[in-house]
Amino acid sequence: MTSTERVRSTTTFASGGGQNGRPRRGLRLTAPGLPWILPALILSVGLIYYCIGYTGFLSTLNWDGASPERESVGLRNYSSIAVDPVFWKAITHTVVFFIVTFAVQTILGLVFATLMHSKIKLGVIYKVIVFVPVVLAPAIMAPVFRQLFAANGQFNWVLEHLGLGALAQPWIGQESTALPVIMVITIWQWTGLTFVLYYAAMSQIDQSLIEAARIDGAGNLRVLASIIWPGVRGTTVALGILGAIGALKTFDVPWLVTIAGPNNATQFLGTYIYQMTIQRAHVGYGAALSIILLVVALVMAIVLQAAARERKEVR
Amino acid sequence: MLFEVRSRWSKVALQIIATLLVLPFLFPLIVMVQGSFAGAGWGNYADVLGVPGFFRFFLNSAIIAAGVIVLVYAVTMLAAYGFSKLHIRFREVYFWMLLACLTLPEVVLLTPLFTTTQAVGLFDTYWAVILPLAALQVPFAVLLTRNFINGLPDEMFEAARVDGANSFRGFVYLVLPLTRPIAAAVLIFTLIGAWNAYLMPLVFLQSQDMQTITLVPQFFIGEFSNDQTKILASAVLTAIPEVVAYLCLQRLFERGLSAGAIK
Repeated sequence: MTSTERVRSTTTFASGGGQNGRPRRGLRLTAPGLPWILPALILSVGLIYYCIGYTGFLSTLNWDGASPERESVGLRNYSSIAVDPVFWKAITHTVVFFIVTFAVQTILGLVFATLMHSKIKLGVIYKVIVFVPVVLAPAIMAPVFRQLFAANGQFNWVLEHLGLGALAQPWIGQESTALPVIMVITIWQWTGLTFVLYYAAMSQIDQSLIEAARIDGAGNLRVLASIIWPGVRGTTVALGILGAIGALKTFDVPWLVTIAGPNNATQFLGTYIYQMTIQRAHVGYGAALSIILLVVALVMAIVLQAAARERKEVR
Repeated sequence: MLFEVRSRWSKVALQIIATLLVLPFLFPLIVMVQGSFAGAGWGNYADVLGVPGFFRFFLNSAIIAAGVIVLVYAVTMLAAYGFSKLHIRFREVYFWMLLACLTLPEVVLLTPLFTTTQAVGLFDTYWAVILPLAALQVPFAVLLTRNFINGLPDEMFEAARVDGANSFRGFVYLVLPLTRPIAAAVLIFTLIGAWNAYLMPLVFLQSQDMQTITLVPQFFIGEFSNDQTKILASAVLTAIPEVVAYLCLQRLFERGLSAGAIK
């Protein structure tokens, strides 16, 4: 929500209350609105909060998901998680994953957007190529990437033909390179969105500002650093928040390409919850992990929103 | 024009840089198409299309996507209008309750939905996927649409009221027609979200004839005992509708998916 929207919503809220001494403007706010929002509240808030509450309850159990016996263990699931090395691995992967994918996507997105604004030839085709991955389902692309990064896959083939055959290795089969592969796939998939957003944001930048800077002798890089980069700040912040939440939600790609392995090398919170709950039937443990994931996501969203707002006010 | 390139050489250099940067994005798509023709050529496609029930995956995905879209559109329009133009006590409380759902990772819903859908007999039905997917899409759709309706002048609704229109008529004759641009964006990101959903169908649709296109690769790994060429052919076939839809509605897709980042 941008600040103008927030201002707008708070002003309508204030004027809607029929404050003392201030006549209500028209009749528009007298019609009761509750019935209108009820379907959405029941569907969304109802279903989701019900599930969260249920998960919270399950997280205090030792239960395999099927047997009628449910043993209540209090907060013991949480204390086991705190000392679970796989959990901390998953957290570390999420952080690294977010930092790397966000940084690379931001740079690539900016570069593509700048290039496309520089009237290069075939720009439309380039844009389509970069954006198509956004539309494709990760689940459908997973087999392609499994083959591409296999020991006898096309990536190694390309390396060999570039004279870099010494670098060829089983990319998804070894711990050291599995996580980078997952990050590469994610970057491949989402750069198109970053690019399109930056492209739109750059169109909004005042052209006369750039021309004035040029007249003052600023070069291309100077314009990029001093005018364009600050000009698209809002987009960068929004993409950062979206990317952070996306990193916490990561499931499809590591699950389908590397099955969270080898040896947990691509374990994320989503995949770990799935493994624990569905495959190993530690439903209580999976539920406790879910609650932790939820709390982390909420806290992060609030902190990022607050940080973004604060900086905006400072500027 | 942001970057100023004067000489012909620097223009050529820029073009080369752009091409080199785009190539890695094209590469997986080439691998996919080329791999799908390896060995038996078009025969791979014939085999995939010959598998009984292959179209069933598409049909299921279409049904689920349509269900999610209808549900999201209906409740979103009603709620956005209510939040924006009607009187609700504690409106902001309701709104923030809804917004808190934005950050929810779907994996959190697995166990509760699993036990609940089994208890009420919805497991392995379309509803087991449609309801949670719609529930997850609604908060953002409402946020977007409410912001849009906030931008419509209040005077218009007052004028309608003075002319004797109740809030329902205001909804039908003002809100629905005027929100078409934002509705298109909502439609696109709901469509993509539902069509590409993997986790929910994976867990909640167990029988073969209920499964969606995102489960196709898995199905063919079983069906062709890991014959990579046919798996890739099935990937190409499932990707085609998405690429075609995007190419036909480029601007709409880009705007709809970008809406996710412009809050």
